[in-house]
Amino acid sequence: MALLEVKNLTVEFGSEDKPFRAVDSVSYSVDRGEVLGIVGESGSGKSVSSLAIMGLIDFPGRVTADSLTFDGQDLLTMAPSKRRAITGKDIAMIFQDPMSALNPCFTVEAQIMEALKVHEGGSKKQRRERTLDLINQVGIPDPKSRMTAYPHQLSGGMSQRVVIAMAIACQPRLLIADEPTTALDVTIQAQIIDLLLKLQEDSDMGLLLITHDLALVSEAANRIQVMYAGQLFESGPADSIFTAPRHPYTQALLEALPERSVGRDRLSTIPGVVPGQYDRPKGCLLAPRCRYANDHCVASQPEVTDFNGRDVRCFYPLDDQGLPTGQTNSQNVGETV
Amino acid sequence: MLGFFMRRLGDVIPTFFGVTILVFLMIHLIPSDPIQMMAGERGVDPERYAELQKEYGFDQPLVVQYFNYLGGVLQGDLGKSFVTKRPVIEEFATLFPATIELSVMGILFAVIIGLPLGVIAAIYRGKWLDHLTMSVSLTGYSMPIFWWALLLIMFFSTTLGWTPVSGRLSVFYYIEPTTGFMLIDTLMSDEKGAFISALSHLILPTIALGTIPMAVIARMTRSSMLEVLGEEYIRVARAKGLSPMRVIMVHALRNALIPVITVIGLQVGVLFAGAILTETIFSWPGIGKWIVEALNRRDYPTIQGGILMIAFVVMGVNLLVDLMYGVINPRIRYKR
Amino acid sequence: MTSQNTPSTAPEDAIDETMGKPPSPFMETWNYFRKNRGAYVGLIVIAIILFVAAFADVISPYDPILQDRTAFLKPPIWMDGADPRYILGTDAVGRDILSRLIHGAQLSVSIGVFVVIASMIAGIMLGVTAGYFRGWIEVGIMRLMDTMLALPSLIMAMAIVAILGPGLENAMLAIAIVQLPHYVRLSRASVVTELNKEYVIASQIAGAGHMRQMFINILPNCMAPLIVQGTLGISSAILDAAALGFLGLGAQPPLPEWGTMLAEAREFVGSAWWVITFPGLCILVTVLAFNLMGDGLRDALDPKMKR
Repeated sequence: MALLEVKNLTVEFGSEDKPFRAVDSVSYSVDRGEVLGIVGESGSGKSVSSLAIMGLIDFPGRVTADSLTFDGQDLLTMAPSKRRAITGKDIAMIFQDPMSALNPCFTVEAQIMEALKVHEGGSKKQRRERTLDLINQVGIPDPKSRMTAYPHQLSGGMSQRVVIAMAIACQPRLLIADEPTTALDVTIQAQIIDLLLKLQEDSDMGLLLITHDLALVSEAANRIQVMYAGQLFESGPADSIFTAPRHPYTQALLEALPERSVGRDRLSTIPGVVPGQYDRPKGCLLAPRCRYANDHCVASQPEVTDFNGRDVRCFYPLDDQGLPTGQTNSQNVGETV
Repeated sequence: MLGFFMRRLGDVIPTFFGVTILVFLMIHLIPSDPIQMMAGERGVDPERYAELQKEYGFDQPLVVQYFNYLGGVLQGDLGKSFVTKRPVIEEFATLFPATIELSVMGILFAVIIGLPLGVIAAIYRGKWLDHLTMSVSLTGYSMPIFWWALLLIMFFSTTLGWTPVSGRLSVFYYIEPTTGFMLIDTLMSDEKGAFISALSHLILPTIALGTIPMAVIARMTRSSMLEVLGEEYIRVARAKGLSPMRVIMVHALRNALIPVITVIGLQVGVLFAGAILTETIFSWPGIGKWIVEALNRRDYPTIQGGILMIAFVVMGVNLLVDLMYGVINPRIRYKR
Repeated sequence: MTSQNTPSTAPEDAIDETMGKPPSPFMETWNYFRKNRGAYVGLIVIAIILFVAAFADVISPYDPILQDRTAFLKPPIWMDGADPRYILGTDAVGRDILSRLIHGAQLSVSIGVFVVIASMIAGIMLGVTAGYFRGWIEVGIMRLMDTMLALPSLIMAMAIVAILGPGLENAMLAIAIVQLPHYVRLSRASVVTELNKEYVIASQIAGAGHMRQMFINILPNCMAPLIVQGTLGISSAILDAAALGFLGLGAQPPLPEWGTMLAEAREFVGSAWWVITFPGLCILVTVLAFNLMGDGLRDALDPKMKR
């Protein structure tokens, strides 16, 4: 059984009669020792889904799912206090912006020790030693003096290391990393990812890596899940997604990678933006931006289907040559790129 | 830190001189002559008039008069009361402890009631409890406190008979003023029950005086809490699996308090304005009542001195709060 | 367009619904304002008070200073021993409390409005001048304002009344002076921000003179915070005027000013609750209404100013 099982997770905001679906029937699972990458543009609902797993969606947000289980326990029906005993201990999360993730009023030490105190107890001395260990483990130089530093005295990279130390303090079995490197300098990004992967390997954690950076997940993840406007568009093993994208969106994302534009005059882009609350198309959510979209795509929404062993939400999944299957030439193909 | 301190001091000094100029000019802006005024109905003969003019230095040019006045102020000389002929600074010093005692109690009341109200309102944002606490605080904020004080007297003193109507202490006790703070003096004395009497005399004035600051603090706490509760580190704290209580009391409140402390400091001015009304109604022998009496008697040196001292105290407390703010929130020191 | 006939299929329908025509600034503000229940209630109460103030002579049953020697300190009509002619009872010299309260509304509203208008005009002049010309003019004006702000407003007003002598007009002038720094600061700050915007520079290049720049180009863009401050200013003017009246420094008897009424009623704190309760209640309700509306306006006019 998988460590984390998510089936048809939906998160809605706004009024009951006119809700906005930030996450729309998304399913996935993470095993121990596995790295699952969730990829999407901003506004694709990837962060919201992870907050839902942590139980951090507040009123008026509504979380529903056919099942949301961690290690066989149903997280949704669990008593709040029991759920809190799991969050922060067995499931931990790293947030996007380390500079705002640390409480400016408390020292680094106090913030790391807090999770230990709540979940593991022990004497203050033990907790302090463990904190020193953790700070060492995440590669902060001169740990002794950094223990008593305040967040505003740390650089972004250091802060993110502290945030990671905080998250792994209770040796979680699942770590959710929500854009852990987005707010950092490019030179620091690789270090932080390497650190995360090393920690994951050492302790056989499940890692849910949420990012908009395809290149990053391609190196880090075992499996990849592509999200768009709250929906799952494609999922499958990392290497096959890269060599043979089945969804036009994945294909476009890959083409937009700077590495793939070598030798061309300009970078390839995807025109337009992810639809928001008010401009959701009626048919396939990608239709206005898809180069292969036709009238059928505009009129109705595709379901997730199995295509050559991969989950794809598209009427015309791409073949190995990267061309849509099942589309007849007579249909109007709107070239947008 | 020293630079921050110096900069704040640099802001305060011009204001200090400005206040002395305004207060000094007061007496020269009166439509009638201060000496005639002092003499009242009886009038004054020309010889005595010239003498008095010399005595008070009114015969000299305005600029010279100002610098004489400023020199006096810097040495703690605020002139003599027209009525009692005692130095104004002395009278101020005798009466000030009573006002401090009342003000401290008022601000304590405001904080003890206002902070929790604000926190509760923020936690239950948009629910009926939020609406209720904010209605209470907006009503308090709009309250004419002279009326509020009368209502309190009407209800608790004359109808229920629970609290005394006026003064600082029951006439059955006599306490030699040592510190000037009745609560402390009665505690140190041998008179049994005197402390209780002093305390019961304080209750209504405290409520009357503390109501507006309470409302302001509640509103500020609520908005500050709401802002902090939207911060990422609150989400992080919740992701640690902390109880909602701990998230709010430890992580949110500590940060939310920083702006609230500034607001508490700014309430000192409000407190003095309130003290004037409260002391008048409760016959509280403090500087508020003193100034009102001086106004009614046209005792200009006392009015001037009283206003000047209040301005100094308000400026001093504001400076102190600013500096404290710098200490609590190290990131602010280098801004502005 | 035929979309009306086939509403379900046309995708532009969805767009029409959400985009539509942008509402006018006034309507937008009004829509925000209307959603705020407190502000709405405040507006209605203010409308009632304004109505009462405007038609005080018609509504009030008696002359507010007419003394009825046969009815001293009569309680309101629902109490024992009441005189049926006087709904809210009479005061110590036999004047009808209801009539006095109604005329008091007239006084309080005009105090609030006149004080704020006078203070605002003078404050805007000073503030715009300071912000527009900068230099020593600005330093001078702003230092003076800082100095005035160092004194608690009521104490400052008392000092001014002490100079000018007690009375309603002097009290109003004093309160107008006391409120001045708020308008000066607000308008100066807005002008300083607006001054660097492109449209100001553009019209300068187009040859606009100082007066046109200050009052036609810049000022209208700074009005929102000033309107909010003005509304809140009315409530504090009414409160301060009542406080001065209560201390014997404002409106003088027999004027039916609410604060003055309270001062006259003080000695009956143990015997006649109605002479004390009603005037204060009127002050509270009026001040509360203006505060509610001011808060609502602030939220509606500028969501950024929301605290």
